Amino acid sequence: MLDREHGWSVSFAGCGFLGVYHIGAATCLQEHAPHIIRDARHIYGASAGALAGAVLVGGGSLAEACADVLALAKEARKRNLGPLHPSFNVIKIIRDGLMRNLPENTHQLSSGRLCISLTRVSDGKNALISNFNSKEEVVQALICSSFVPIYCGLIPPSFRGVRYVDGGISDNLPHYESKNTITVSPFAGECDICPKGNSANFHEMNVTNTSIQLSLGNLYRLTQALFPPEPKVLGEICEQGYSDALKFLRENGILSDSIYVTLSFTKRSPQEAVQCVDHMNKKTVSETNGAETLNAEVLNKQLKQNPWPLDKSIFESLPPRLRKALQEACKEQSGFYAQFSKLFPMRVMSYLMLPYTLPVESAYSVVLRFVNWFPDIPDDVRWMQEQLCQIAGTVYSRAKSKLFCAFRKDNYASLRKCQTVPSTVEFHSSYCHLKTLHSSADLETWLWDSSYFMHSTMKHASVNIKQHSDLDSCPNFLPNSAESGLEIDFDSSSEKSFQTVPEY
Amino acid sequence: MAGAVAVALSLAALPAAAAPPPAPARCPAAMAEEEAPSEGSGWLFSWLPAWCPTSLLHLKEAEDRMLKCIASTYNKRYVYLSNGNKIWTLTFSPDLSHKTPLVLLHGFGGGIGLWALNFEDLCENRTVHAFDLLGFGRSSRPHFDNDAQEAENQFVESIEEWRREVGLEKMILLGHNLGGFLAAAYSLKYPSRVKHLILVEPWGFPERPDNAEQERPIPIWIKALGAILSPFNPLAGLRIAGPFGLSLVQRLRPDFKRKYSSMFDDNTVTEYIYHCNVQTPSGETAFKNMTIPYGWAKRPMLKRISHMDQDIPITVVYGARSCIDGNSGSTIQSLRPNSYVKTIAILGAGHYVYADQPEDFNQRVKDICNSVD
Repeated sequence: MLDREHGWSVSFAGCGFLGVYHIGAATCLQEHAPHIIRDARHIYGASAGALAGAVLVGGGSLAEACADVLALAKEARKRNLGPLHPSFNVIKIIRDGLMRNLPENTHQLSSGRLCISLTRVSDGKNALISNFNSKEEVVQALICSSFVPIYCGLIPPSFRGVRYVDGGISDNLPHYESKNTITVSPFAGECDICPKGNSANFHEMNVTNTSIQLSLGNLYRLTQALFPPEPKVLGEICEQGYSDALKFLRENGILSDSIYVTLSFTKRSPQEAVQCVDHMNKKTVSETNGAETLNAEVLNKQLKQNPWPLDKSIFESLPPRLRKALQEACKEQSGFYAQFSKLFPMRVMSYLMLPYTLPVESAYSVVLRFVNWFPDIPDDVRWMQEQLCQIAGTVYSRAKSKLFCAFRKDNYASLRKCQTVPSTVEFHSSYCHLKTLHSSADLETWLWDSSYFMHSTMKHASVNIKQHSDLDSCPNFLPNSAESGLEIDFDSSSEKSFQTVPEY
Repeated sequence: MAGAVAVALSLAALPAAAAPPPAPARCPAAMAEEEAPSEGSGWLFSWLPAWCPTSLLHLKEAEDRMLKCIASTYNKRYVYLSNGNKIWTLTFSPDLSHKTPLVLLHGFGGGIGLWALNFEDLCENRTVHAFDLLGFGRSSRPHFDNDAQEAENQFVESIEEWRREVGLEKMILLGHNLGGFLAAAYSLKYPSRVKHLILVEPWGFPERPDNAEQERPIPIWIKALGAILSPFNPLAGLRIAGPFGLSLVQRLRPDFKRKYSSMFDDNTVTEYIYHCNVQTPSGETAFKNMTIPYGWAKRPMLKRISHMDQDIPITVVYGARSCIDGNSGSTIQSLRPNSYVKTIAILGAGHYVYADQPEDFNQRVKDICNSVD
């Protein structure tokens, strides 16, 4: 697994709120085999996986991240409509949490190592971003990777001038096919670190590279990904991530047995513990074993008693800081109001009042969001205009081609001619109009279906203008900076980032 | 939708209605490859092709495309069994008879085509036979008994009869998934015919643990959904989907295309899998009758494996990433203390070990075979 020569990578799957699983697994790796993370070539991640990877590589605190996720889940559960309530602004909370948690030099720590999977809005293709110039860029890339369309909002965020959404839509587990990638996923399936369900079902589905076993447990997990369960359940998922990672280390001989025994079974006598290790994975079959001793059966019972114990003892195997964070988050809210609002009649009342309270709350949150949105308005409006133009252009071109077909069915040659000739013309014009970014030229090139030309011109142009912008020492990441510089700078750097990711 | 479900229900129940066409007693020399389309009686079956765009001809074409890239010479034929069933068989390097031949049993929902990445390497210095299990692929799709033990017996007998017809004295038996289960069941019953048993990601070994209630609590509605779906055949949804089935396979299992991308860059594999599984479910129904929810064997093999002949060496091959428990190997070892049992984990491979890491897999299997003779 850990091939010194070729190096290895770690890939975290996107999974929404189940990201606490990654935090548990990452904590375990950091604690028991720090070299796995330290010496890994790349840490890949999509969505929540990218957040965990960023905290892991970028010098953040995992315990703090865990507390943040649980706080976010609590926030999402606070209202009647859950995370769909308009006043629940998940992107803002994530951004604030990251800004707080990541150190100032996080871009230096994570550049070249952290690869964030993003989905480009324009063509739906995947992009892996691995170089960052500032902390803000790291955070912005993470925001883009976590942006589940509609759930998080309608206008996709932009990174270096290009609109991106959730990386999980195009590639949820980057580089999973490589033998040297340690894959981590909170869904039971074909991954190195993942929960093993109590189903022997070998049917599975594959969602953008994440293999998900078809089992009831996974169905439940899928519903939890965007609609978080109680903090306690999330805590258990975190603990599961920790123990699965421990199991992975043990099975691959990365963790020495002695550590493992003292870790997991300190409460039991050493003799028993050894037997426990032996029987742990055989518990499913051990009862069938005729030669089984009574002692082993007792052990089995002990093991079976708490695969998911609901008491706090479950967190005991976790490192103290993480445990503290979890226990803090699981604490019931005390105080008169909290108790009062949990009463059944009060909850019914709040649901009944929903038609009246919702508009007020919505209006309030819309105002808040509008204020927050203010700096981005010109950008976003322009983007929306562009999209509208594109849609209109498509409709127009479709209608036009239909009409052409109807008129000129007899003369195919002339039709071809008239399709190819203007595209070359547009090829030049798009080049000329590059500075006025959102000119009709874009639309026309798109219309004539010559995106290839467009791309190549952009590439040529990008080199020139990149130099230009460097000379001007223009800040790369400013939403209101000159757009030409922005867009083009991105293009070149994305090329770069593609190159930095080695092909396996 | 209700109508579709009703049809699906009758589909799940109906394979019995399609009595296997009585195969004419032909001499092996006249074994023709082509297949007279078996027209079942009843309105349902005349209507079925209109809903699911498939036929045995489609399956044959898909299989031909799967095997197109194989450079080694092979012959393919039907092997006729005494009760009228026929088994679709591929034989590679038939003239290397001085070595024990290797026999490949595919898994649930598969067929011989899925070994496309393995044939060439494996047949380098010994004969390799692969056949579609009874009730799967291009073999006959008879009615299996509803009883798990009886159905298993039917499978095992079909393997034994196939062996007799082909004329093998001894063989190295390799089974994947359901094939692994059947290979073990066969070795239990006919130990003298098996020189080495290779279980690749075998299904149906461990017993269902009875700690379901201590499992993480699952909401009622999900349990209810599971209960509603459990009477259906595992792949009934594929047949309900009808004309959308193919795109359903492509959507849910894009990984198959990647696994075989070294050989095909189009949808050959998914089409093959689709056509294998939208035919009348026969082996699939038998499999369903042999399972208890969710995916566990009714008659788990670990309960019986200690009765297996001590002289049969066993190798368990599993993918390190697979969700099937790789610990079966060590458990078999502990149950057969005086026999040879070896477990091999293949890194970076999931359940379909032979397609995920074909080079590794082929090398390991060749090593095992060379250790036999």
